[in-house]
Amino acid sequence: MNKMNDLVIPFEHRMFAHCESGTVTGLLNHGGLPLTEPMVFGISSGILFLYFKTPALPFPTFVVRNFPGQMIRGVSRRLGVKFSTAKYRDQKKGEDAIDALLDKGIPVACRTDFYYMDYLPAYMRAHFNFHYLTIVGRKGSKFLVSDCYSTELAELERESLRKGRYPGGSFDPRGFLFYPVRVPQNPDIDAAIRKGIKAACFNMLRLPVKQVGVKGIRLFSKKIMEWPGMARNEDHLSHEIMKINILLEDQGTGGAGYRFMYATFLRQASEKLNAPALREMSERMMLVGDDWRRISIYAARMGKNHDFGETKFRELSEKIARQADAEEKFFTDLARIAKTL
Amino acid sequence: MKEKDARVEGKDTHQLVMYVEKDDGSYDSIMTGSYLVKNYVDDFWDKKKKIEDEFLGKIKNGEATPIMLYMMLEELTEVELAGRVGISVRKVKKHLTPEGFETMTLRTLKRYAEVFDVPVVNLMQAVVTKKSGLQIRAEKTKNPLFYFLRIEG
Repeated sequence: MNKMNDLVIPFEHRMFAHCESGTVTGLLNHGGLPLTEPMVFGISSGILFLYFKTPALPFPTFVVRNFPGQMIRGVSRRLGVKFSTAKYRDQKKGEDAIDALLDKGIPVACRTDFYYMDYLPAYMRAHFNFHYLTIVGRKGSKFLVSDCYSTELAELERESLRKGRYPGGSFDPRGFLFYPVRVPQNPDIDAAIRKGIKAACFNMLRLPVKQVGVKGIRLFSKKIMEWPGMARNEDHLSHEIMKINILLEDQGTGGAGYRFMYATFLRQASEKLNAPALREMSERMMLVGDDWRRISIYAARMGKNHDFGETKFRELSEKIARQADAEEKFFTDLARIAKTL
Repeated sequence: MKEKDARVEGKDTHQLVMYVEKDDGSYDSIMTGSYLVKNYVDDFWDKKKKIEDEFLGKIKNGEATPIMLYMMLEELTEVELAGRVGISVRKVKKHLTPEGFETMTLRTLKRYAEVFDVPVVNLMQAVVTKKSGLQIRAEKTKNPLFYFLRIEG
């Protein structure tokens, strides 16, 4: 390999709550569009719920946001941002593409397997092929990485990034990278907010799939009663129950975190559109997030104390079912308000 | 969530961003420690240790292979592991048995080590010591199959 000169693009590194919305926000801000992370999240209809089981995972799980990549596409479609995207079968070409963009002073975002991001604490690292980050420079054998979950600009060995970009398995990123080539300076944000809200309501209430949206939360509340029979042993069950806490609290901001971010979006949207009704909805969404957090803490305690009686599971199931009711009412009301905006 | 309820203080908790209701009623982000790490990370590591002990025992008795150990630790299924290593599920199943493990090529072993992000030798040995405070580190060489095991302290 030819020796590359060290360089750092003047990119403002910041932590964000979530990697995809944060990465997109960072790139848009760098391109001169001062949108907040909650705005990016809301405009791209980031809020969702999905309960699923797949052969790729050893246990059923849930996600509480829209499908990875949809925030990029949502922002692109609703704000007119044009992203250049590429995948590279050849790993060397994939790495050369990053170097070529850095030479032009362009920060470039990549999708990676979280597991190889060795600047993060060991307990955070899990095989997950949907982690987004931005490469903003290079130094010796390392890339300089702006990762929303890292307090500082991180250094990552080229080999680790290569492994992270080509991990194989489900949803292999295959060297996927993207960067904005056109960022409109005065997009119609009001219209984008309206579309984002309407699409979020549709996704939560009307997608005809039982695993998704409010139906997905109800499915989760039923299926959790089957979890004790699916675990290898008590420790495994404890781990899976405590993962509810991970998914709701920490990893990728979690369900509670996403609900708090969506509440912040609605607050900002109410100010932008001068719509007091959205302010009230933002307060309601904050309370919905608080209830998710209570579920998360309840599950964590259950898991830690190995408290797996049927009554406990029944109570957990009922708490989740109540969340389904609360979110159904919330998004029904929000959909009604969205028609008047 | 109110800012005061979201705040998690304490060293060794990684920082994360949360959106909260601030004291003045505005909604904005704060950086705070992780509730999960502060309260439950020890439990997480205890469980990993139990899995490690269980499967090292099985490996020792010829009932499992290191592939099985890492697969369990990393919570990968046979299907997912096969996709990551780039081989068939049938082969992964074979490599989970001591007899099948012996027949693996070095190239495949190296690919498994890459997926688990460990030195290749870790798939053929476990380092055990009664001394505490030792720093044990596998130092890479230009030969991807050869490491220096540095034991210091």
